[in-house]
Amino acid sequence: MILEMEVAKTVSTRAILLGNEAIARGVVEAGCLVAAAYPGTPSSEILPAIAGYADELGAKTVVEWGVNEKVAFEMAVSAAFTGVRSCAVMKQVGLNVAADPFMSAAHFDLRSGMLLICADDPGPHSSQTEQDSRFFAMFAKIPCFDPCDAVEAKAMVFDAFDLSEKHNIITMLRPSVRVDHCRQDVELGDIIARDQGFRFEKDPLRWTCLPAGVKINHPKLNAKNDAIREEFETDYARYNYEVKASGQAKLGVITSGVQFSVVMDILKSWKRNDIDVLKIGTPYPLPVRMVTDFIDRHENVLILEETYPVMEMQLPDRTKVQGRWNKIVPGAGELLPEVVEGLLVKVLGGQETVTADANLKAALEELRITPRKPMLCPGCPHRASFFSIRQSLPAAINPSDIGCYTLGINQKGVDAVIDMGASVTISSGFFMAQKASGMDAKPIVATIGDSTFFHMGIPGLVSAVYNRHALVLAILDNGITAMTGGQANPAVGDKLRKGDKGAVVDIEGVCRGCGVSFVKTVKAYDVKAGKDVIKEAWEHAKANQTPAVVIFRHPCMLLRQKQDTIPVRVNHDACVGCKFCINFFNCPGLVFDEAKKKAVIDERFCVSCGVCRNVCPHGAIVSTEGE
Amino acid sequence: MQYVIVGIGGQGILFSSKVLGKIALSRGESVMGSEVHGMAQRGGSVISHFKIGQYKSPLVKAGEADALLAFDQNEAVRNLHFLRNGGSLIVNVHDAAALGNEHLKAYIREHDIRVYPLEGYELLKKHMNGNFLFLNVLIVGAMCGAGVGNVSYEEVRNAVRELSPAKFADANMKVLELGYEALKGV
Ligand SMILES: Cc1ncc(C[n+]2csc(CCOP(=O)(O)OP(=O)(O)O)c2C)c(N)n1
Repeated sequence: MILEMEVAKTVSTRAILLGNEAIARGVVEAGCLVAAAYPGTPSSEILPAIAGYADELGAKTVVEWGVNEKVAFEMAVSAAFTGVRSCAVMKQVGLNVAADPFMSAAHFDLRSGMLLICADDPGPHSSQTEQDSRFFAMFAKIPCFDPCDAVEAKAMVFDAFDLSEKHNIITMLRPSVRVDHCRQDVELGDIIARDQGFRFEKDPLRWTCLPAGVKINHPKLNAKNDAIREEFETDYARYNYEVKASGQAKLGVITSGVQFSVVMDILKSWKRNDIDVLKIGTPYPLPVRMVTDFIDRHENVLILEETYPVMEMQLPDRTKVQGRWNKIVPGAGELLPEVVEGLLVKVLGGQETVTADANLKAALEELRITPRKPMLCPGCPHRASFFSIRQSLPAAINPSDIGCYTLGINQKGVDAVIDMGASVTISSGFFMAQKASGMDAKPIVATIGDSTFFHMGIPGLVSAVYNRHALVLAILDNGITAMTGGQANPAVGDKLRKGDKGAVVDIEGVCRGCGVSFVKTVKAYDVKAGKDVIKEAWEHAKANQTPAVVIFRHPCMLLRQKQDTIPVRVNHDACVGCKFCINFFNCPGLVFDEAKKKAVIDERFCVSCGVCRNVCPHGAIVSTEGE
Repeated sequence: MQYVIVGIGGQGILFSSKVLGKIALSRGESVMGSEVHGMAQRGGSVISHFKIGQYKSPLVKAGEADALLAFDQNEAVRNLHFLRNGGSLIVNVHDAAALGNEHLKAYIREHDIRVYPLEGYELLKKHMNGNFLFLNVLIVGAMCGAGVGNVSYEEVRNAVRELSPAKFADANMKVLELGYEALKGV
């Protein structure tokens, strides 16, 4: 039994928070005691903020990074078997990794509240898909909250925990990137104290996923869905409501999540009073009566949601609705304000006017300005590693993985990427295909980051050892999970709460333990050593039909550790303008001067790591030391 | 008031909206904005939106920004369409000649945009030993000096002081003044 006790003390202040901080604050205030996550944009700031607020408010919350989302989810959900409020946090594709425990545990009658926070990335801005996690909620038959801003996201955390506890079911909060990364003034409260002792009662049918249990739990889950849908129809007017036009409505717009906010600001700037808006904050299970009633009252209805037609597909009849089924609303990409404005104009029967200004277009063309693509940072050790790998075995195929080092694509060092951990398994697939076709084996040199190696690289490596696959796996160990903002991982050992020390897991030892017979470590900046050891590793792999591992090590630039500075310049007498350095080293600090037809150092970005001295085949990049 | 802040990942553009937010909060006003985190931060184009007043959406719609703060002049040109007619551009210039482009000048004239160029890199080379990490503070100072953004110098000084880690407090105040003086009264 969870006893709600009176609020310990009330401090009421306002602060400007990132959406993710607001969510974290809600999690701590709601008395969540176990929080686990694996980082991933746009969700990464939530867990560290939970640790921060727990420290600040003196909560006992245990806050930990799992090595992947499946691990994090399983840790969190099982804590909710025991009477302790818990939450798991991940990005949308993280739930693919955690899908197995998620689908299974959705059937369980939890003892305490469990909140799954799953952050979506319409666009996408930093993801390999723009999948809609609300569909995952529907798939697993668990309720989903879709906040329109940071304030609502924080409020929903409390309701999601309460609903979870009322029906003993996992609930999902699905913020999209614009909510995660919005900055808004938010009310801060204090912790709602609750009695949450650990109490695990042995009850195998309840806590195991045997088919016999499913036969009881699945119908029960359906009944929970029916009950929750009914509650969403009537009891959640704070999230599901209609904003009525002051005049006669010509159009009704159904919105969910941040689309509500976008539409409201457009209507404000248009000063229109003939459009009704229905806001739905609980898209699954959809309060169907409420939505159908809105549709019945309007001649013309537009439905806006990101990124999949989750509400739309729950409608008994959507033929009257302008949405994705009739291709009015784009089926991919973010519904930016400009897109939404165009859609509103279109369904109101107007002429779309969004055309680029001719002068601005001409200026961009004449000045050759294009969006700047993401690049590895100046001084990034990955750049040096990719250069060594490419130069060592130019004929190799280079599968890679997900992390900052995916940007090695700019150096032509990344040939295939699927998802986290697939660098090893893609290599295995290529090895098997080469073997089957009886071709002379091309070298295979894959790259993976330290965090990604722990996340899902290890099973593939074990499989490659077991099956005798000749490949080289280069582990790029920069001592951090860089792409997502610099979280610690098992190779680092640090944990999130103050004074909470973890243990370091040694990558070399893990590889040896997996049965890898060749494991060597080089300094990433040492291009010559890197080239030599990659060659040696491939020889070993080929001769013994086994994977070989090379670890490239140097701290990430984001860690700002002190290192030698070696200022350089390009000697224009030696530079022949071949662009080799641009194409294969690709550093923001080293650019091509189109007028002079020479490479030059861009002092705005160069950090004097000195690695590029090893890059120019004509020796034109030289140290300025002593000049 | 709606601001769009643009630059290149790593330049620290988020600092500007932190300053603006602090000021708004102390005035009791509501704020709403949007930031970029993740992949694009790695040296790519970055954009942040910030609105003070009664807004719901975190994004500024094209043609509605009152002020555009550009840490990079190319990003300024790419995002100029966010400014409303009569809006203001504060731009860190590294290649002044490019800004003389006739089409660009025509667009700026047509839309009545006030342009405040700032040679940020030169200033930081001269006064801060070439430490370009101070660009964010410099631009906030310049915005205030140019009288753009509806914030007083006193408010900005207080906000920057509060937001600065102790280690950088003095240097930040110096750079703020440098930016302020550079565009004061232009
Ligand atoms: C399943 C899944 N979870 C999380 C992410 C987000 N993500 C992208 S890269 C990355 C980790 C990168 O760390 P590491 O492998 O150490 O490489 P680095 O960025 O430090 O070079 C993460 C967690 C993802 N893309 N997919």
